Amino acid sequence: MRDIYRQFLPWLRLLTRRRRAFSLGALLAGLTLLAGVALLGLSGWFITASALTGIALALGIPAILDVYVPGGGIRFFALLRTVSRYAERVYNHNSVLALLADLRFRVSLDNFYLRALMPPLVALLGSAIMVLFVALWLPYVALLMAFVLGFLWLVATVGFSAWGWRQSHHHVGDQEVLRHLVIDQVQASAELTSYRSDQWHRGFVDAHEQQVLHNQRQVGNKQSLGNAIVAAVTSLLALGVLWLAGEVLSRGQVDGPIVVMAVLMALGINEAFSVLPSAFVRLGASYAAVERLNKLKPGASAHSVVSSANASLEDGVIFEGVSLRYPYALSQALSDADFHLSAGKRAVVTGISGAGKSTLAALIMGRLAPTQGCVNVLGVAPTALANTQRAEHLAMLTQHVDLFDASLAENLLIADPTASDERLWQVLSDVALADWVERLPKALDTAVGEKGQQLSGGQARRVALARLMLRDPQVVILDEPFASVDTMTARHLAASLDRWLADRTVIYFIHQVDQPDLLPHIDYHWHLDAGKLGSEAN
Amino acid sequence: MASVSSHNELTPRHWLSSLAASERKRLTGAAFFGALAGCHTVVIVTGLAWLIDQLVVHNRSPSDLMLIFAFLAVAVFLRALCQWASEKLSLDASLRIRRKARTQLLDKITALGPAWLTSQQSGAIAAQAVEHIDALDGYFARYHPQLRITVWVPLVILAVVVWLDYLAAVFLLLAAPLIPLFMALVGMGAERMNRDQFAAVARLSAHFIDRVRGITTLQLFGHTQAAQQAVWVASDQYRRLSMRTLKLAFLSSAVLEFFSSVAIAVVAMYVGFGLLGYIEYGPAPSLTLFSGLAVLLLAPEFFQPLRTLSMHYHDRAAALGAAESIVNTLNESPVMRDTSPTTTKTDNALVELEEVQVSYPGRGVVMGPLNLTLKQGDVVAVSGESGSGKSTLLSLLAGFIGASHGECRHAATNQVAWLDQQPCLLQGSLADNLRLADPLASEDAMQTALKRAGLIDVVNDLPHGLDTPLGERGVGLSGGQAQRLALARVYLSSAPLVLLDEPTAKLDEATEQAVVAALIDWIKEGRTLVVATHHPAVIKAANRHFKMTHGQIEEMPV
Repeated sequence: MRDIYRQFLPWLRLLTRRRRAFSLGALLAGLTLLAGVALLGLSGWFITASALTGIALALGIPAILDVYVPGGGIRFFALLRTVSRYAERVYNHNSVLALLADLRFRVSLDNFYLRALMPPLVALLGSAIMVLFVALWLPYVALLMAFVLGFLWLVATVGFSAWGWRQSHHHVGDQEVLRHLVIDQVQASAELTSYRSDQWHRGFVDAHEQQVLHNQRQVGNKQSLGNAIVAAVTSLLALGVLWLAGEVLSRGQVDGPIVVMAVLMALGINEAFSVLPSAFVRLGASYAAVERLNKLKPGASAHSVVSSANASLEDGVIFEGVSLRYPYALSQALSDADFHLSAGKRAVVTGISGAGKSTLAALIMGRLAPTQGCVNVLGVAPTALANTQRAEHLAMLTQHVDLFDASLAENLLIADPTASDERLWQVLSDVALADWVERLPKALDTAVGEKGQQLSGGQARRVALARLMLRDPQVVILDEPFASVDTMTARHLAASLDRWLADRTVIYFIHQVDQPDLLPHIDYHWHLDAGKLGSEAN
Repeated sequence: MASVSSHNELTPRHWLSSLAASERKRLTGAAFFGALAGCHTVVIVTGLAWLIDQLVVHNRSPSDLMLIFAFLAVAVFLRALCQWASEKLSLDASLRIRRKARTQLLDKITALGPAWLTSQQSGAIAAQAVEHIDALDGYFARYHPQLRITVWVPLVILAVVVWLDYLAAVFLLLAAPLIPLFMALVGMGAERMNRDQFAAVARLSAHFIDRVRGITTLQLFGHTQAAQQAVWVASDQYRRLSMRTLKLAFLSSAVLEFFSSVAIAVVAMYVGFGLLGYIEYGPAPSLTLFSGLAVLLLAPEFFQPLRTLSMHYHDRAAALGAAESIVNTLNESPVMRDTSPTTTKTDNALVELEEVQVSYPGRGVVMGPLNLTLKQGDVVAVSGESGSGKSTLLSLLAGFIGASHGECRHAATNQVAWLDQQPCLLQGSLADNLRLADPLASEDAMQTALKRAGLIDVVNDLPHGLDTPLGERGVGLSGGQAQRLALARVYLSSAPLVLLDEPTAKLDEATEQAVVAALIDWIKEGRTLVVATHHPAVIKAANRHFKMTHGQIEEMPV
């Protein structure tokens, strides 16, 4: 129980930050409920009072009934219910969406807020107000109402969430497994079809689906039982109120219209309770979603270590016995890497994809910490550098180039927002794109399209390279800088890179060195094979 | 197995109604019990009105009316039972329908085969099979029965109200057609807005994904804050867009709320003034507390089914959206697949291709015409540039695709072992991943296969050995280890024909050598091999060598 509370706590806390929105929403929902209950109660009172007055008048007994106040009340409550219902719907959905925008997670927590948090509160407060109101005339009837509704509330909320907990909690994980099984069925379809084991794997999918559906059936059965119980109990309550109030009436201790009002109000409160079982039987699923989110969060915060470590620009890149094993991996992605690349030197690392190049790059860029050994970049461990410092001193041309759906200039200005147009044109000519851009009708304002689709693969890489050259880093990693460009352009790129790289510490990642002339002034040549870094004859 | 005929283009609506038809009994039962529960409501509220009349006007005491109280309590109980039965039946129907729909979808996917699946995103198909199928739930479990309940229950209530006071019934009757009219007006607006919003959200989420995808780049340039800001702005914009649609959608529920509130108010005023004797015409003078109260309580019940239906209206929209995406897949034509492969004419031939052409829709003929016989014991190296048709040839030999022209004959025992650049790892244990090649394999056989593939040492080091789970929830294999696992699969299977698509590409040196050694092992076992490769050692080991250019085969001297 404490565990459950702890998992939900951060999300409840978020809510308290928005408690004004929440309480206003609850107020509107409560107003809708009470307006409905009051409308029924007042109408019942009015009709009964009219009937009794009518009978008295028919018998010639003088009687007076003010029809204007109750008539106005009835019209007022009818209108209030409509207006507050609409306002409540719009307002609460707006708050939830705003909340989700704050969380930056579009997850199924709206169920939690809109169905499991607000309705029970509204039901409880609404019932309490109704009971107190009835107690003015019929204290024992009010006591019966309080007792029955209180018990029903507990059963519908606590009772049903506990009863449906296990199955609904499983639901999220179950769906996940089913998704994975289907993905396997699709991705392994070549193997499954050729080995004729398609039906064998379908057996797994079907068995799991059977289990998922069985689980859903149980949750559904509990929900329908809950709905039936709530409907039966509220109707029986109305009957009970009528019986008890009838006794009071027959003793002449209360007026008929009041009795009718109490009965009709008891009927009207059903609306607040009927939504509870379906929400609470599924509370376990909200909990499972919250658990997942809570698990995601700590990992994100590990990156934002702000440290006082200061980079010393005279140092290069030093690896001492560095190994890295990803969690749950059978073997090391990088094992016992040892090298010393002093400031201003250049190295080439060759190797097939999967040999450990991206791991090596991530270690240098401080995006990963080694499992063993020591990484030292510019005199400090790169993981200890603040994000801004890392961005200032280390730069990398990634294998996969990210261009944004914006203009060419905007994509370049990401690297240096203060760069002048002149400077942009210069880096573009460094990557041999200036002529091409000049011929474009919108020149620098040309949109590159989503994922840079308006550009060819080679052009996109050159834009990314130009973007990199707008910066002034000490350590540069270049992953396949000459991929998908022709030999002429590659030569041009190599020459401008050579100029820009002067005095910087450089590591090239290249699949295979086909043209050594593209890589001038190389001091070291290393080869990566299955996570092992070795020296290549230079 | 249920499969959908390919020449009949399915529409989402048609598909949903055919699914509903398959569970008609349960759905009708659900509607019947739902309507029966509505009838019980009528009995209960009129009974309540009668009791009140007796107690208040006729001054009887509750104990005199014990029987009626008991009768109403029984009615309440029966209504709860009907309600429960209705929900249970519709739940059952929905579960069965979803199972059926998923079977249809998965069968279709199998029928379309690996060649079609390579052009698809597995995530999108998984979404169809899980989320989209589940999105059908509300439609069958709630909307479908409620639609029928909405037709019958108000009619019953109207009949009772006519009997009690026809003037009140006239009012209900006048209000009733207004409701669908209003709702249609609101609904049409909402639908148009919904479409606009769909387009806008698609654009927005593209922007959102654009920023999220590039977040690494933004971080590399020290723009983390800006990136988070961009994501927030995107989701806030999403909120504003959603609210526009929701505001309109909520109008329809407000309209219903208005009608049911106004019905109570108008009936209360009419009955009240009638009882006071202010209304002289029609049935008003004969109103009693009983009939007046009964009419008052029945008025909101008259609108209740429609209110419930409008609450479930979005279930219908969701189901239609989901059905549209699923039906797209169901409508894919499986022309590429050999449905009834004919057997080879010569005894020792595994595959015979005669004047075979392969064409893809929209791309025309990509291969052939080819004439080719693959005999037992052949070791064929296939080389050629990427895009020359090597993979298509392998797919054809494996039976993943059929000839669009000519004849492609397979041997009767046509089990095939398959190995490509990226072996697929299933979620499951290591043993499951081996059993893919032979579901009935013994533990010993698996151990032997692992040993021959050079993976046994790694497996023996694992705490749970063969039962160790792999994949996202289990241990990860390196590229080389995964390829060795794929080798173990081939060792485990007794398939006479082994098809390999670039088996040595993108491997570390040790694994590359292991693959070449395995190939030589299989040749010694007398298996027939077809290998798409550029590896000199593999080409050297082959006894036939095909060179492919633009979908044409040229057999090279060996």
